[in-house]
Amino acid sequence: MRPVQFILIVLLLFVIYVYFSRLRSGLLDRLIVLLFAAVGIVMTVVPDLTTRIANFVGVGRGVDLFFYLTLLGLAFMCLLLYSKIRDLEATITDLARAVAIKKAKPPSSDTPRVPDNN
Amino acid sequence: MNRSVFVVLPVYNEGRVVASAIAPLLDRGYTAVAVDDGSTDDTWPIIRSLPIHSLRHPVNLGQGAALQTGMTYALEHGAEYIVHFDADGQHRVEDVDVLLEPLRKKEADVVLGSRFLRDEDRRAVPPVRRMLLKGGVIFNGLLTRVWLTDAHNGFRAMTREAAATIGLRENRFAHASEILIQFRRNRLRVVERPTAIIYTDRSQAKGQSSLNAIKIVVDMILRRIFR
Repeated sequence: MRPVQFILIVLLLFVIYVYFSRLRSGLLDRLIVLLFAAVGIVMTVVPDLTTRIANFVGVGRGVDLFFYLTLLGLAFMCLLLYSKIRDLEATITDLARAVAIKKAKPPSSDTPRVPDNN
Repeated sequence: MNRSVFVVLPVYNEGRVVASAIAPLLDRGYTAVAVDDGSTDDTWPIIRSLPIHSLRHPVNLGQGAALQTGMTYALEHGAEYIVHFDADGQHRVEDVDVLLEPLRKKEADVVLGSRFLRDEDRRAVPPVRRMLLKGGVIFNGLLTRVWLTDAHNGFRAMTREAAATIGLRENRFAHASEILIQFRRNRLRVVERPTAIIYTDRSQAKGQSSLNAIKIVVDMILRRIFR
């Protein structure tokens, strides 16, 4: 095993550990993360495998194929995050609006008029 | 009769200017609703001390959000007519009645102020701004299919029924285009009336830069993609 393979696997395992120990997520999310981690380890241990897949789809090196897929994945994540942010913004707006209306000060409430007739 | 006219003023970090903008509105008997959009200076204590309806967003959301909050509140408090008015003193109080007239005559559901219906108003707009606004007119027309003579004027009046059909989701400046789309979708009768704009150094400085125009376009395009 080359040093780089060792380093990559250790880092990957560390990321998985952090994910499982810090983030509470659904079963499906955990399975997907595990799947990706497994694929990642296989790709690290058997680099020739990725190169063969890359050659099959017409890309020279396995690393290049991986690079392209990563870019796509990142672009997809950006869009996903963007729409999540918009949803969040809408929620915050609704909340802020509700608070503003609930706490609104009408024209006369600061100087309440006491009736004269008592 | 003017008491049921609710003038909504979105305010952000300009409390002192608002105080002077509001006085003439109250003189005419209008009901003023100031929405402090999460100002970070002393705007809130200032507008709170005025004899008006004062609301405050706990966080800054943008002018569109502030307008919507003011409209929702005004509808809940019996507004018959709702007017959007700029708090920084660039709109003239006399023009509120100009905008209300077609509504009172039931000739329109929405009346928009325009700087391009009278020669003297047009000349008052700085040339660069004039060109930018014309670009905005074309952009808005293509996007919303509502063809007007002015863009992002911000001076609007509408009936209660019309306002009730509006739900702004575009928090920042793109709300000005969004509201046109909703006017059209809800089949509201929209007319324009000439209004003068007072260009002070202040409104010039904080007014919309060309950069803002680009931001608006990007906002609108993203919104089209995502909903």
